[in-house]
Amino acid sequence: MIIQGTHHAGDVRDRADVVVIGTGAGGGTLADYLSERGWDVVMLDRGGFFRAEDFTQREQDAMVAFNGRRGLDSTVDNAYFLNYAECVGGSTVHYWGDSFRAPADRLERWRGFGIDWMTVGDLAPHFDAIEADLGIHVCPERLFNENNRLVRQGCEALGIAGDAVPTARVDCIGCGWTQYGCTYNRKTSQLITTIPRVSRRGGRVYSDARAERLILEGGRARGVTGSLLDRSTDRPRGTFRVDADLVVMAGGAIGSAEFLLRNVEDPIVGRRFYMNPHYFVYADFGREIDNVTGIPCAYEVHGFRELRTDADGRYRGGGYTMLCNHQSPGVTAATLSEIGAAHRERMGKYRQLGSLMSVIDESNPGRLWVGDDGHRRTWQRVRGVDVHKAVEFMKNAARIFLAAGAREVWIPDVWGTVVRDEAEVEENIGIRSVMPNAQFAAGSHFLGTAPLGSDPEDSFADPHGEAHRIPGLYVADGAAVPGSVSKDPSLTIMAVARHIAAGMHEREGRAGA
Amino acid sequence: MRDRHAHAPDAPPDGGRPPALEPGEAVVAGPSAPGGAPTDRRSFLRATAGGGAAIALASALPSGTLAAYPAAQRDGADLRALSPKQYAVARAAAEALLVDLPVDPAAVARAVDADLAAVGDPIRSDMRTVFTLLEHLTPLAWRFRRFSALDVEDRRAYLMTWARSRFNLRRAAFQATRGFLYFNTYLREETWAVTGFPGPWPGRFHIPAYPIDFGEIA
Repeated sequence: MIIQGTHHAGDVRDRADVVVIGTGAGGGTLADYLSERGWDVVMLDRGGFFRAEDFTQREQDAMVAFNGRRGLDSTVDNAYFLNYAECVGGSTVHYWGDSFRAPADRLERWRGFGIDWMTVGDLAPHFDAIEADLGIHVCPERLFNENNRLVRQGCEALGIAGDAVPTARVDCIGCGWTQYGCTYNRKTSQLITTIPRVSRRGGRVYSDARAERLILEGGRARGVTGSLLDRSTDRPRGTFRVDADLVVMAGGAIGSAEFLLRNVEDPIVGRRFYMNPHYFVYADFGREIDNVTGIPCAYEVHGFRELRTDADGRYRGGGYTMLCNHQSPGVTAATLSEIGAAHRERMGKYRQLGSLMSVIDESNPGRLWVGDDGHRRTWQRVRGVDVHKAVEFMKNAARIFLAAGAREVWIPDVWGTVVRDEAEVEENIGIRSVMPNAQFAAGSHFLGTAPLGSDPEDSFADPHGEAHRIPGLYVADGAAVPGSVSKDPSLTIMAVARHIAAGMHEREGRAGA
Repeated sequence: MRDRHAHAPDAPPDGGRPPALEPGEAVVAGPSAPGGAPTDRRSFLRATAGGGAAIALASALPSGTLAAYPAAQRDGADLRALSPKQYAVARAAAEALLVDLPVDPAAVARAVDADLAAVGDPIRSDMRTVFTLLEHLTPLAWRFRRFSALDVEDRRAYLMTWARSRFNLRRAAFQATRGFLYFNTYLREETWAVTGFPGPWPGRFHIPAYPIDFGEIA
C-alpha cells in the first residue's frame, strides 16, 4: 500500500518487522528482498510519490517535484552542486539507468576494510538477480544519439577504450528524458519495480514522511518517528511512529548521514563523503547533431579509469571515466560560464553541441556534517592527485571531440577556455579551470558517509551492515559503500543492499520464508 | 588494498564545528586547491572574502525599502524570500545576463524569489547574502554606485570581475547568480526558438506509459 503523507490527516502509528528509511536503490532492493521472504515491511521517504504522468519532461516541474532542494543544493562554497532526488524510488527515478558492476579492483580495496564478502563470486548472485529483474542490458545501437556516436568515433580514432553502457530499461523508446523521471515506465527504477511489489505484498510505503528520531530501547534500535509533510509547503501536517524489530538506513549517503548525525553519537558518520566530481566539456560541431534523444549516456569512456603512477608515485594519468552527458536546455545554460551576448551566442549553438562529463574517482573525499545552525553541510574540493585527474579529463575529452571532427571545444570556465587543436589542448587547459567556482561542477555518486568495515574506529557498521554501536540499526545504501566505485554506483548499491538483506534474513529469519 | 593516494581521514566535525583540518595534499606531489575546509557558509564567506568585512557589511546593511528599491512594486512581485533590495539586484543581474532573449528579466527574478521561498534556508539566506554583497561591494571593482544603479553594460563588466576574482567567495557568488538566473531563463518555452530545442515528447507524441500496479494508493 502506498500512503501519501501529504494526503493523510492525523497521526500514524505502524508496526513492522523492519522499517526502511529511504526507497531508492538500496532501500527498494532490500525491502523487496525481505518482503518476498515474508517480512512485514514499512518504507519511508521524505519525498513525494510521483508516477509517469507526473514526469512532464520539463525541467522546472522535475526540480520542483523531486530534485533534492530544487536542484540548488551545493557544497558550502558552491563548488559542487549536489544532484539527488527526494521521492519514492529515490535517485533511481532520475538516474540515467547506467548499471555497472563494481570493478574487481574496487572490491579488493573494500576487502581491506574487513568486508570479506566483497568478492566477485559473493556478489555475482546478487548482480545476476538484479540485472534480470531490472532488464539490464547493453545499450543497443538504435538508442545511441549522435553525441554518443561522435564520442565513440573520437575514441576509436585515438585508440581510447570505451563501450556501450549496460542500462536498466525495458523497451526504451529513446525520448532522452531519463533524468527527469521516465514518462513511459520503461526505465526500470525502483519506483516501478521493487516498490510496487512491496506494496502489493502488504508492505506500507509512506511518502512525504520525514524520519526524524530514532527510537532506542536499551541501546537497541526499535523504530523511528517523524513528520508527515504537506508536499506543497514542505511543512508538517502530522506525525508518524513506526515500531520495528530492525531499522534500516537507506536514505542515500546524504540523507542517511544527516539522520544519523542528528540521532547518534558516532565519530565516523560523514567523515568521508564521495561524490565522483563531475566537470563538463562541450564541443561545437558546427552543424546540428542529435544530442537530446536516445539514451543520453549510451557510451562510456573507460580507458582512463585506472590510475597510473610512476615508480616514484607521481601521477601519470587516469583515475576517471567519462560519460556522454544529458543536455537539457536549462542545465546546459547553467553550466556555461559566459554572460550576456557571449552566453546567448553559445546557447544559440545548443543543437550543435556534444558534451562529456567526468566521473572523477577521487582519492580524497569530502565531508558531511551538521552545523551549529542545525543545517546539514557538505564540503569537497578536488585536491592533490585529484586535480591532475580533473585536468587530464578535460584535455582528453577535448582530444576525443577534436578527433571526432569538432570545430572547437569549450571548457565552460570563467576564463572562456577554447581549444581547436592539440597544441591548444596542452596550452590552454590547466589547473585554473578546476579552481573552485571557476566552472560549474557537480556531484551525484554519493557514497561512504556511514561505511561498512570490521574496525569500529574506521567504520560505522560491521560487514553485515549492522551499526557497531547500535544493535538493530542497519545501513544499506550508498552510505554503506566504503569508497568510490569509479563508475555509476547504482547497481553496486543495489547488490550491496541485497547482500545485506540476505544476511539479515539468514540471521534473523522470519515466518513465511 | 586501499587507495594509496588517499589521506587518512581527518577528525570529523565535532558538535557542528568545522572539519578540523584541511585534508591537505595527496602523497603524490601535485597542485592543491586554494583555501581550507570551512565550517559552514558563513565562515566560508568570512574566510574567502578577504576577511570578515564583507559579510559584516552585508549583515549590517538594511534590507532596503520599497521606496529605495521600487522594482518589486513596479513589477507586481509579491516577494516571499527576497527583500525589495535583493529582488532589485536579482532583476538587475537578469537584465545584464539576458541579452537578445524573449524572456522578461522580471519574470526570472520572480522565479528566483519563488524558488528561494520554497527551498528555504540555508540556500535562501545564502542567496540573500550574495545579492546584498553584489549590490554593495562595487567599490572593490572601482565603481562607486550600487550594482543595481550601474548601467547594464557596466553590470556585466562588474560581474566578470567577480567571475575571475582570486577570491573564491566572489567566484562562488558569480556562479550562483549566473547559474540560477540562466537556469530559470532557459527552462522557459520562450527560449526554444533560440536554442532549437524541440520540446518535450508529451504534447508532441502520444505514447502511453506501460501500466504499473502499485497496489492500493491512499
